[in-house]
Amino acid sequence: MSDTPIRHLLGKDGRDPGCEGAFEVLDQYVEAKRRGADIEARFGDFITHVRNCAACREDTDGLLAALDDLEGPAPSK
Amino acid sequence: MTVHDGESATLVQDLLRLGATRDAAITRIHALLLLVARAEAGRRRARLPDRVLDEVDDLCMQAANDAVMSILRKLNEFRGQSRFTTWACKFVIFEVSTRLRRHAWRHRAVESDETVWDHLADGAPSALRSLEHQELTIAVSRAVRERLTDRQRTVFQAATVDQIPIDVLAERYGSSRGAIYKILHDARRKLRGALTEAGYAEHLA
Repeated sequence: MSDTPIRHLLGKDGRDPGCEGAFEVLDQYVEAKRRGADIEARFGDFITHVRNCAACREDTDGLLAALDDLEGPAPSK
Repeated sequence: MTVHDGESATLVQDLLRLGATRDAAITRIHALLLLVARAEAGRRRARLPDRVLDEVDDLCMQAANDAVMSILRKLNEFRGQSRFTTWACKFVIFEVSTRLRRHAWRHRAVESDETVWDHLADGAPSALRSLEHQELTIAVSRAVRERLTDRQRTVFQAATVDQIPIDVLAERYGSSRGAIYKILHDARRKLRGALTEAGYAEHLA
């Protein structure tokens, strides 16, 4: 479902580990995503957080881009 | 530049040793992190003010330095659940992105017009202007005024309406990204609860 202005304002409901909790698993998430693993099942809380937190979302995109640079495009792409 | 998994394992072992081997490993990881920091700054270049571009090299070096310090401090927490280089890179991404956001806002005032909630329907800023229903807009305004503490209202408005990065708010308030996010998270939860009570649950799903 697309983000409406009200959802953008009020965020996504659900278990949210916060910035520190998200940082703990950020490396595992990006590797799983690059592998094409079922990230929704394993990283649901993390995904809720990055939908709600622009800073952590930007960092996640940054780490994914860094791995693309270092290791080449993800096999799942 | 290609980093193989075997290289990650060697780096960890070398960082745990003493003397010249460890120093050489620190030099190698620092070089990698500096490369990553510069690439990330380059990726964000178009969104950075000109005055920040002049400082990018210095910011990247600071980010790599601080990331190495964090990695050495937390090395015993590395469990091998990802490759070491991936684990290490997340520290420099965090450091460089925080610096870039803060420098981009360095000369901008962090001020909020709290009266925005009193006249959302007729003069809302862009983030709110397209709210579909006037009644919903009024309900949000009322909940912001009545349900949030002063601190929650300030952080919620700054982060969502004024689009001020939470790293910047954390710096201005002498706090951390996580602590500011917690305030935002609690404010949003209160507002969702208030709107659900008021019969707008379907707009939040």
